[in-house]
Amino acid sequence: MNRFVVGVRANLQTFVRTPLNVVLALVLPLVVIEGWGQAMAGLPSMPTVEGIPLDLGRLLGAIFGVAIITGLMGLVQMISAREADRRLVQTGYAPRTLLATRLATLAGVTIVVAGVNFGVLWLTIDVEAPLFVFAFLALAGVVYAFLGALVGAVLPRLFEGSLVVVFLAMMDVFLSGDSPLAADVPDFVQYFPLYHPKELLQSAAFDGTFAAGDLAFVGGYLLVLLVLVTAVFGATMRTAGGWSA
Amino acid sequence: MDTTTAPTETLGGSKTLVRGNALEKTYGSRLPLGRSTPVLTGADIEVHAGEIVGIVGENGSGKSTLMKILVGVLDHDAGTVQRHGTVGWCPQEPLLYDRLTVSETFRLFGAGYDMTREEIDAAKQRLADELDFEQYLDYRVDQLSGGNRQKVNLSVALMHDPDVLMLDEPYTGFDWETYLRFWDMAQDLANDGTAVVMISHLIEERSRLDRVFEVRDGLVHDVTDEETESELRSDPEGEHE
Repeated sequence: MNRFVVGVRANLQTFVRTPLNVVLALVLPLVVIEGWGQAMAGLPSMPTVEGIPLDLGRLLGAIFGVAIITGLMGLVQMISAREADRRLVQTGYAPRTLLATRLATLAGVTIVVAGVNFGVLWLTIDVEAPLFVFAFLALAGVVYAFLGALVGAVLPRLFEGSLVVVFLAMMDVFLSGDSPLAADVPDFVQYFPLYHPKELLQSAAFDGTFAAGDLAFVGGYLLVLLVLVTAVFGATMRTAGGWSA
Repeated sequence: MDTTTAPTETLGGSKTLVRGNALEKTYGSRLPLGRSTPVLTGADIEVHAGEIVGIVGENGSGKSTLMKILVGVLDHDAGTVQRHGTVGWCPQEPLLYDRLTVSETFRLFGAGYDMTREEIDAAKQRLADELDFEQYLDYRVDQLSGGNRQKVNLSVALMHDPDVLMLDEPYTGFDWETYLRFWDMAQDLANDGTAVVMISHLIEERSRLDRVFEVRDGLVHDVTDEETESELRSDPEGEHE
């Protein structure tokens, strides 16, 4: 039997049988997008902080919602079955195959999460290029899913890992990109995970365009994350096993 | 540290399937002032085809550590491990995926063992019948009782007919009937040439074991023909003999 296919199917079955996952994926977008939009629009304009238009607030809410859901899912995927994973590796699964099943599952779930967020967003704001908006939401989700997986591989504790993912996502969405909240932010924020996805999303939503450089940067970012998570996961699953037939 | 799948040698007419030489393992702390705990300090062990070997020892003596090193799921600091043939490992705590059903669990681990769908289904039916959990095949693992979960845990180790079976207290939670059936299975497997290595705490099981090793002071002692430290403490007059 094909290990990859069996593994992905098992991951998906595990995912849909975890009610919290389904609730998070379906309910959180509505709450976050509208809640974030209203909260941001309600901020008063001050000398150093401009008020955020409602639509931009909703857009920020959407990318935050996607990032936090997929980041936490990536984290949980790596932590929840760590010991059972080691047993599975001992039966013959290569760590890379096992990781590939996890990341493929995450990518699939991310597309669904991005779809739900996009649906809510589309109902609340007018977007210039809907297809690109959906694609860039999904891209932001994949970045955070892989990031969550990396955090889970490095820090295999649910509470601490969740704090890292949540705080990173919040800091990211506040400081990254052309945020009115981020006056005089240092240059290094352009290396934050959501900096370029947010640029892509804003351009696609409000102008109907995007910069190829941003897209290339996100692709490179994903590649680096992939290399890192593969290396860390491989190291944690490394054993002296390996049976001769 | 070295691990190989070495060619076998014949010892007394039976093949050596697992050999651990001068194994050392210390659990260290990553914190600067943390404590290091040496567990194995030069343990030697050999297991041959067709025998049932018991590993005994006090709590914390290093039995599970030794087994994990022999299986290959735990790295050792020094020494060598040689294995020949396929290995089935039944850990003390069931290491399964809680939200998968029993059938899905067989499919996942069977794919790991590179078994065909037909082989997996045949193994599932055979083991479910032998260990009496046929009615739970569509239940999720987290919906099973402790005993039934342990049956699935054991079945995952057995499903590919391994040459070496490593069992860490495999009968925890079994009812008496299942416990007896388990020993019949172990004996049948040994008769067919499988090496069965089992961590055990029960003195009553001695008669079922071909050889007994005690893990004590970081070393492995062959105590097949003598009483273990814990037996001497619990039975100072030697009454159970």
